[in-house]
Amino acid sequence: MRAIPTLKISISGVRGVVGQSLTPKLLTRFAQAFGTHTGSGTIVIGRDPRTSGEMVKHAVVAGLLSTGSRVIDIGVCPVPTVQLQVRQRRAQGGIAITASHNPAEWNALKFIGSNGLFLDSGQARELLDIYHQGEYTKVGGAELRTVEEVEGATDSHIKAILDALGPLPQTQKKLRVVLDSCNGAGSLVGPRLIEALGAEVIPINVTPDGSFPRPAEPVPENLGDLCRAVKEHKADVGFAQDMDADRLAIVSDRGEPIGEDYTLVLAILHVLGREKGPVVANLSTTSAVADIAKRFDCPVFLTKIGEVNVTDGMQQHGAVIGGEGNGGVIYPRINFCRDSLVAIALVLHLLAETGKSVTELREDIPQYTIVKEKMTCASDRIPSMLRMVRQEFAQYPMDTRDGVKVILPDGWLLVRGSNTEPIIRVVAEAKSEDRAKAMVAEVIKQLSF
Amino acid sequence: MKPLKIGITGVRGIVGETFTPELAVDFAESFGTYLDRGRILVCRDTRPSGPMIRSAVLAGLLAVGCEVVDLGICPTPSMQLAVKSLKADGGIAITAGHNPWQWNALKFVRSDGLYLNSTQGEELLDIFHQGEFAKAGWDTIQHVVHTADAIEEHVKALSENFAVDAIKSKKLTVAVDCCNGACSFLSPKWLAILGCEVLAVNDNPNAPFPHSPEPKPETMAQLCAVVKAGRAAIGFAHDADGERLGIVSDLGEPLSEEMTLAIAADIRLGKKSGTVVTNVSTSSAIDIVAARHGGSVVRVPVGQAYISEGLIEHNGVLGGEGSGGITVPEVHLTHDSAAAIGLILEYMAQTGERISDLVAQLPRLTTLKHNVTVAPHRLYSVLQEFRSVMEQEDIEIDSTDGIKVTLPDGWVHVRASNTESMIRIIVEAEKKEAARELLDWARDRIKR
Repeated sequence: MRAIPTLKISISGVRGVVGQSLTPKLLTRFAQAFGTHTGSGTIVIGRDPRTSGEMVKHAVVAGLLSTGSRVIDIGVCPVPTVQLQVRQRRAQGGIAITASHNPAEWNALKFIGSNGLFLDSGQARELLDIYHQGEYTKVGGAELRTVEEVEGATDSHIKAILDALGPLPQTQKKLRVVLDSCNGAGSLVGPRLIEALGAEVIPINVTPDGSFPRPAEPVPENLGDLCRAVKEHKADVGFAQDMDADRLAIVSDRGEPIGEDYTLVLAILHVLGREKGPVVANLSTTSAVADIAKRFDCPVFLTKIGEVNVTDGMQQHGAVIGGEGNGGVIYPRINFCRDSLVAIALVLHLLAETGKSVTELREDIPQYTIVKEKMTCASDRIPSMLRMVRQEFAQYPMDTRDGVKVILPDGWLLVRGSNTEPIIRVVAEAKSEDRAKAMVAEVIKQLSF
Repeated sequence: MKPLKIGITGVRGIVGETFTPELAVDFAESFGTYLDRGRILVCRDTRPSGPMIRSAVLAGLLAVGCEVVDLGICPTPSMQLAVKSLKADGGIAITAGHNPWQWNALKFVRSDGLYLNSTQGEELLDIFHQGEFAKAGWDTIQHVVHTADAIEEHVKALSENFAVDAIKSKKLTVAVDCCNGACSFLSPKWLAILGCEVLAVNDNPNAPFPHSPEPKPETMAQLCAVVKAGRAAIGFAHDADGERLGIVSDLGEPLSEEMTLAIAADIRLGKKSGTVVTNVSTSSAIDIVAARHGGSVVRVPVGQAYISEGLIEHNGVLGGEGSGGITVPEVHLTHDSAAAIGLILEYMAQTGERISDLVAQLPRLTTLKHNVTVAPHRLYSVLQEFRSVMEQEDIEIDSTDGIKVTLPDGWVHVRASNTESMIRIIVEAEKKEAARELLDWARDRIKR
């Protein structure tokens, strides 16, 4: 068996374990490659509060400066803040220093283009080619530029949200919100946003010191503290951010996680209520998205999985809102990327304007259950696995852009190989949990044969 | 020829060509590994590549698990003092000293504030070449602390070692050219504490070097003009990082950089006889001055680490080199142009003598310096061949550093530069003619 790699260099960036594979030399070279790729322009950098963040930042700054880039360092902040700053400052690119939901020993560089989006696969391949070729732009003397440390990037993020959505309408009682930032990049800005909107905030896990009070993924099993706090404080809603503050999960007024798929659904509910237009999500997202869009008579387009594919689809179809079932909400009027702050604002507006509780809103949305499983499968066996699924379900309509998605009369089933691990993922959605579980079990049984 | 030199005195090159951020990262990791982590101070001069190299150094030091204290723009001797006062394990100065502005370098300082000696320099290079560095995990990695106190502390240390009140009472007018370098903060501040009326030029650390940062007569025209126009008692010229000092007399005459040590030695030995430590390349004027005061001279190889070690070994009262670097042991055992200023102004204040009067009494020898660019792979062969020629001609060789020979009219010193791929020839004689003849004699015997 091969050793488990602690370094992953791919079109999504470079990711590794600090103290092992993620060395300052590797990082400075990647930054040089990026500076070379962007033509020595202005580059915005920001980071999450991991303990290794400062080391990684200095390596990145050295690499960028050596190529003649001008660096704007906006400090510890959410990834979407970096993306917003790239656009607001008309920078040539950005680097977000974050390993999002990976554990504390990991860190990573994510590369952002001048449009504020992550590099698409073509741009990312160019960057990798430059990195591997090892010939970077070098400047000396007066062509060298400096790094500017800028404060207040998150203030302009809050301002952008308030400019687009306004404060919450005055109600008799202020909404009471518990926010769990996972001690992550949203720790400082999250509570300020909620107050600026006009709600009361009870923050937990808002010490951005690089410690992880819980696993970073905002999935139900990691939200015990938040659920308890919502009940204890009799809050109207609980929000959970991940480490880099791009994804958001919601806990209801009863202290129950509503499922991270429903963050996007609630956001869509609010946006389509104000402006009609196309909705884009990936093909692993709950059917509730389509049901809600139908209520407003708006079309839905499903894309391949991956944030870049969703943003591509949104641009192509002129979407008013889009996102992913993992809690990633993309609202292009503010920021063309997954943004937990935007998601918080949209959901709070929905609560305040409808006067309904999270539980009531959730009950008003068609109920589905998504079940996800994975099984070990070498990458060279994936095609034959997918062929078996196609044959087995030949009589049903299928979407084969990303693995095989089978549209069943009472739900859907998705089987796809992972790009990053030797596993195959099986996802099913149905009206009931039992049915979804049965669908997954059935497929796994056949594939294991 | 590639402008890059990696050796026991550190790493030096041109940014944008040979001195890459990876190289700076590697050397910082090597140094952190060598010191087994600990607290490391970092300072830099004002070159445009300073911020880039600084970030690379901080990344490398953090990655191996060092606690980093960033002193910002600050003279190297201020950092060397701070290493001791902050109980640090070492320091890195990001400065190419007197080299042109396109260059930069890393210089490594150990826990006693002195540069690594040659053995330690070799050990550091071994770690660099092996390429295996310590690595801090997420739970042991440290942070960077920023402080700007090193210059304040330096001024305090200087104040304790010179007769501040005596100097103050004279209200001397002093011109200073900081070359927009790391002394732009320290030097005017120190002169103000000494009660001087300060005529400062090129004291903006954000501006480019106005001229080569090597304090010698060719670069001191502006300072001469300021001394004359302001009727200053003396003019001082700094290099980029606060080690070397050039002097303009009250007559507006720019003095050779070789004179700085002769002046300092005359002052120092006049008060306290003892041993002066200098390198084999430095003018014989120092021998004449020492003899006058009944002192002695010890000659060591070129490089500050040798001066420091020589001072310790011989309990010297002054150290210095012909390049203008002066060490006043009471302050610390390393070159410090601000300490040299204190020494000279204290003398002027206490004796009431003009600097031109002191200079008039010093021996005037002619020293000629010439560089021969040599391909890197021939650098040491050329030196060996010169040695063979000397042996064939039956001339006695001093091989303290390179090859030094003493002839009836003067001496010739031929050595490989520590910092560039060139052979340095230095000759000295009483008369100009004789010095020229010595230089021709040496050049004829060097075969590139």
